Amino acid sequence: MSEEKRYLKLHLIVLVLVVIAELIGTKSYKVGPGTIVLLPMLFALLLGLLTGPKFLKIVDMEDMNAAEDLITISVLLLMAKYGTNIGPTLPLIIRSGPALILQEFGNLGTILLGMPFALLLGLRREAIGATFSIAREPNIAIISDMYGLDTPEGRGVMGVYVAGTVFGSIFFGLFAGFAATTLPFHPYALAMASGVGSASMMSAAVGALVEIFPNMAEEITALGAASNLASGADGVYMSIFMALPMCEWIYRKVMGDRAEEVTKG
Amino acid sequence: MKLSLKDPILITVVVALLTLVGNFVGYKIDPITAFPGMLILFLIVIVGLWITKVMPGNLPAVVYVSLLGIVLTMPWFPLGEKVAELTSQVNFLALTTPILGFAGISLGKNLDSFKQNGLKIFVVAIFVFIGTYIGSAIIAQVVLKLTGQI
Repeated sequence: MSEEKRYLKLHLIVLVLVVIAELIGTKSYKVGPGTIVLLPMLFALLLGLLTGPKFLKIVDMEDMNAAEDLITISVLLLMAKYGTNIGPTLPLIIRSGPALILQEFGNLGTILLGMPFALLLGLRREAIGATFSIAREPNIAIISDMYGLDTPEGRGVMGVYVAGTVFGSIFFGLFAGFAATTLPFHPYALAMASGVGSASMMSAAVGALVEIFPNMAEEITALGAASNLASGADGVYMSIFMALPMCEWIYRKVMGDRAEEVTKG
Repeated sequence: MKLSLKDPILITVVVALLTLVGNFVGYKIDPITAFPGMLILFLIVIVGLWITKVMPGNLPAVVYVSLLGIVLTMPWFPLGEKVAELTSQVNFLALTTPILGFAGISLGKNLDSFKQNGLKIFVVAIFVFIGTYIGSAIIAQVVLKLTGQI
């Protein structure tokens, strides 16, 4: 099969996947303080897996390799859209003050806490993809562009992405409630921390805080939303210029001679 | 010049068309309404790819493409509001569906290593989530205290 035909075949398969996935639509189930949300993209991912040689055998090895090239280019449309979501929110973020802007650096806590555990569990370069961010769509785009998704880094970011998509809002709902009742933080600080860069996770965390501090509901909601916008706006640049270099550095320090080299530049 | 299906520009066009279909099926925005916004996103990608090529420093294309999107929709940019309004007709989630479709296809190749590490990565996810929350809460707490707001 020529490469041209291969690409055409992949586009047609994905057209079918997209239609089926969007017809299924978004399914959400309320569980405790959060919601399990199954988005069409998750169905598209699963259906895509099903086309593989282990299941329906619609695609072969070379098709799967070609799909990889298509991802690298198609994520760029998503990044353009991501930019247009951020632009209108810039004035609000700038007005929000130093605490809100500085706490953004706290998002690097994903690495400080996640990286040691990931390496202890025996993950190698997967740890970089898994812990440099909370693995939302723009972060997949970054890994796809800088390493490729068909790499250990790619598997790391996809794993945390799927975990976050399915269980993220429940987890943040529970954890914000736990932090509010047991840790010595002011509700405003917790509200800002809730803006992790995902609207559903932020809503769950803010929802839990509002339940515990009903008299501060308005401030908590506003701070959570503003911080979430800020995390969205700086996420990509923080990932590329700070988080990934930090991950690479820690990985090399910890692994020493056993460090595996990057497979794709 | 023969247009090749392998050309990044043509791939972007095809993915844009796929997205318009998903945007219609999933979010009931008809392709004619969404077309101007999609055209803008397409042009942002093309110009972003060009900037990536001519700029020194070897930064990934995602940097320039997203920056262009931000600049074109900032309130300080004369047409910002208009661009934001047009591109809002293309649903963010509709753009993610084809990407994850391609990702699903390509992940099939590594199913074994995914199975092997999948559970570990799920456990790591918990620490990643706690890390970002506590990290931000600590800095916010300290800065709010120092600036006398709490």
